[in-house]
Amino acid sequence: MKVSIFITCLCDAIYPRVGEAMVRLLHRYGIRLHFPEVQTCCGQPAFNSGYWDAARESAQTIIQAFEDSDFVIAPSGSCVGMIHHHYPTLFQNDPAMMKKVNNLIEKTYEFSQFLVHVLGIRDLGATFPYKVTYHPSCHGSRLLGVKDEPYILLSHVKECQLVPLPFAEDCCGFGGTFSVKLSDLSGAMVDEKAEHVLETEAEVLVGLDMACLMNIAGRMKHKGKELRVMHLAELLYEGVTMHG
Amino acid sequence: MGNLEPNSPLKERISLALNNEFLRNAVKFTTERLRKGKQTATDELGNWEEWRSYGQAIRMHTIAHLDYYLSQFVNNVRAAGGFVHFASTAREAVEIAMKIMEAKQAKSVVKSKSMVSEEVHINQALEEKGIEVVETDLGEYIIQLAGETPSHIIIPAIHKNKKQIAELLSQVAGEPLPADTAILAGFVRSKLREKFLSADIGITGCNFAIAESGSIVLFSNEGNARMVSTLPKTQITMMGMERIIPTWEDLEVMATLLPRAATGQKLTVYMSAITGPKRSEDGDGPEELHIIIIDNGRSNQLGDPEFQEVLNCIRCGACLNACPVYRHVGGHAYGWVYSGPIGAVLTPVLQAEKEKWGEVANASSLCGACYEACPVKIPLHDMLVYLRRRNVEQGTTKKREQWGMKVFQKVASSHKRYRLAIKAGRIGQKFVARKGEIKAKIGPLKKWTAHRTAPALAPRSFREMWQDLQQQQTQIELDPTIQKRMEEMLKKRGDQHESEQK
Amino acid sequence: MNPNRSEEILKELERKAKEKEETFFQHIANRLGRPRLHTPPIQPVRGVPSFWRQYHLDFEERISLFMANWENLGGVAKRFGCKEDLVTFIRNEAETMQAKKLIRWQHPVLEQLEIEKTLPKADVTIWKESNREQLLQKAAEADIGIVVADYAIAHTGTVVVLSGATKGRSVSLLPTALMAIIRTEDVKTKMGEVLAVIQKRNGPSMPAGIHFITGPSRSSDIENDLTIGVHGPGIVYALLLDE
Repeated sequence: MKVSIFITCLCDAIYPRVGEAMVRLLHRYGIRLHFPEVQTCCGQPAFNSGYWDAARESAQTIIQAFEDSDFVIAPSGSCVGMIHHHYPTLFQNDPAMMKKVNNLIEKTYEFSQFLVHVLGIRDLGATFPYKVTYHPSCHGSRLLGVKDEPYILLSHVKECQLVPLPFAEDCCGFGGTFSVKLSDLSGAMVDEKAEHVLETEAEVLVGLDMACLMNIAGRMKHKGKELRVMHLAELLYEGVTMHG
Repeated sequence: MGNLEPNSPLKERISLALNNEFLRNAVKFTTERLRKGKQTATDELGNWEEWRSYGQAIRMHTIAHLDYYLSQFVNNVRAAGGFVHFASTAREAVEIAMKIMEAKQAKSVVKSKSMVSEEVHINQALEEKGIEVVETDLGEYIIQLAGETPSHIIIPAIHKNKKQIAELLSQVAGEPLPADTAILAGFVRSKLREKFLSADIGITGCNFAIAESGSIVLFSNEGNARMVSTLPKTQITMMGMERIIPTWEDLEVMATLLPRAATGQKLTVYMSAITGPKRSEDGDGPEELHIIIIDNGRSNQLGDPEFQEVLNCIRCGACLNACPVYRHVGGHAYGWVYSGPIGAVLTPVLQAEKEKWGEVANASSLCGACYEACPVKIPLHDMLVYLRRRNVEQGTTKKREQWGMKVFQKVASSHKRYRLAIKAGRIGQKFVARKGEIKAKIGPLKKWTAHRTAPALAPRSFREMWQDLQQQQTQIELDPTIQKRMEEMLKKRGDQHESEQK
Repeated sequence: MNPNRSEEILKELERKAKEKEETFFQHIANRLGRPRLHTPPIQPVRGVPSFWRQYHLDFEERISLFMANWENLGGVAKRFGCKEDLVTFIRNEAETMQAKKLIRWQHPVLEQLEIEKTLPKADVTIWKESNREQLLQKAAEADIGIVVADYAIAHTGTVVVLSGATKGRSVSLLPTALMAIIRTEDVKTKMGEVLAVIQKRNGPSMPAGIHFITGPSRSSDIENDLTIGVHGPGIVYALLLDE
């Protein structure tokens, strides 16, 4: 059984501890993750900006990397959504590639999806004695349909006080290159998101996509507000190792 | 249409909106109200997803067979005694309307809300000929007095406050009116009553056109669409050629979707189905009915697999209310008559000059809230990406961006270059990163750091950690329950492949 | 301009339309990448979902749902067991409102009510074939317009009125208040039933105006404040009659 990690470029370069948490968490169940080195980025920044040739080249590294994997897991609903939703568009005129794309799609899961649907794990036996709020990232929840999974996992974490985030489903304003192209607008959007997070008085903001979390955390810091921002994998890993 | 240009670049329009605090608060308040209304109304109805699928299926089918249904509609309008005209462009639509004005020697026109008439700029043409034209929807009347364009499909004057409205109406009244909603609305009621009763011609839009009977269907809350289609002797209806639905049965689906998606109402206060002019024995209703069927860029979407579905739109405005971008900037930032996600798609596809209008497709974070809100499931978030790709193909994107994407392509197409790029980045950031953070507002990061602190690259990337990490993961037994589940899934996958091959 | 010139312009427009028509349709077919379609296509989905077709309320459920919906919209809903009570109610309301001018359809139900006799001081206009301008003026001045609903829809709280020689559209539109008399047997569960009956009764030629009225005229265009009676009637009565 070959289970591979698609680390995603952001977690690779900036948040490797998210990948580390995934590796260590899954190892507890006897899963030894596999990391094919040829992977780079899913290609989304180029795809969403309209540069599809660049996106295709980048996507090819992903398709190649996981050709012989049985399962692929990634710490991002957005990157997995890119594979599921947009790879077929990118390669629609290439039947040989389409076959590979379809093979990749059926084995690729976002982290919380994989835990709940593939492994059938709901309770990891974690304890996390903090007030937590959850931001459902748009691509994970809308493109990929990851809605209940994180709540299922969080609801089984002992001593974790989960508080609802007002306007949770509103975009944080990241949007990839959008945040640079229309930075003032993106700034206004993330400011509102940060305000909503602060309203909850949560000690920890958790999510399934580091891009959105990076955006919100960056705004928090800019405003001088301290708040822990974590990927769900990190929270769960800390929950099973430190607080139990 | 082609003669119009956005009055300033997208960024400037957005910046103008972001600095207008009243506008932003008003837009937030209104869209939240409408969103909540929609949520309540769809929950109350139940099975919303199934209704959406039906709405989508009906619209898809109609558009795919538009020539048939449109010609059926036309024949039935004529059978009921109405006139039909065809306009390929905005200019033709205006010319036809003006000819009718001439034939009727019209001096005054009352209009009910119609987006397509905004699109062709009929008011401008009427005014140039000295014909008085009055918008009769309360919100439209207000913005007409202010000389502006609508900022929301459903609530056009969302950006005006009571005091501003009182000032505008006081000028009409010739005396100061208090900033009191009931008084202001009462004044408009009596003022427009005179106009309705004396106008030579009424111009309406058309929410739906029913092919099987040649009927046009109008939805309104104030009753002005009824006035315009009841009192003047001549009625002109301007309709986008895609407004068709095949049957009355289909109308029930649309009447279930449209008001709920738009305002959260079970039905708008008035829904009127008009079939032909008044019958000879009727005491009211138009003696003559002219329907102008307008293409104006719509047919270019037909047969285009990426954009044909945009013609399914029923103009409810739900995507505006759901959109986080619209929420912050309102409608005018989009530059043309249609705003929000639907506007960001319609504007570049309907306008002939793509290079001028293409950039509005960038006004989205691609969050997909528009698709989720759309009662007929138009994939607007995908269309926005297609538009961006067209901008790239046409070479209208900024040079700096093109260059940046070339670099991305180089780096992301090879893991070796990718690995080197991370290393190079780590060296480069030494000058700006402090304690894992970057605050400096310089170089390519400044757009980001103007509003946020940026994280620094990690001291070791995941791929650099991998060797060590892998060694720490000792070989242990896979949990048997998990192993069983995974094996079953693999088997199922294999079986599926086999059956597909057969 | 002489009337001939006017005729000429319209004829010219009509000629152009006929000339353009087929090109217009053919262009659509070309864009869709297939020959022009002349036979009716098969609709894979037509009308409402099947669960909705099965949705049906009992008589009493329909009446009470209709009344609840109408009241929620800000309308007045009353039910009467006999004509006499209905007439008394109309008289009392008209007197409370100090209504001086009324306008009503010429309709068998309204003839029987003898509203003119109960309100001898009021100026009551009856809508029947006569001078258009005069009727419109009367309707515009009226305090109350009285119609008999052709149908009502319980699910949305809607009154449906069809236009005709004795059934002016303006009567339900121009007066300050609208009174719609509804025979309880005309209250249907949902819109689809009403649409089907109208189609069945009218065959291929529908009445010129079919109006669905769901509560008082309203607007939220000024700072989201809900305002009633913007152009149409702000006071609306649904008066259900059981006979």
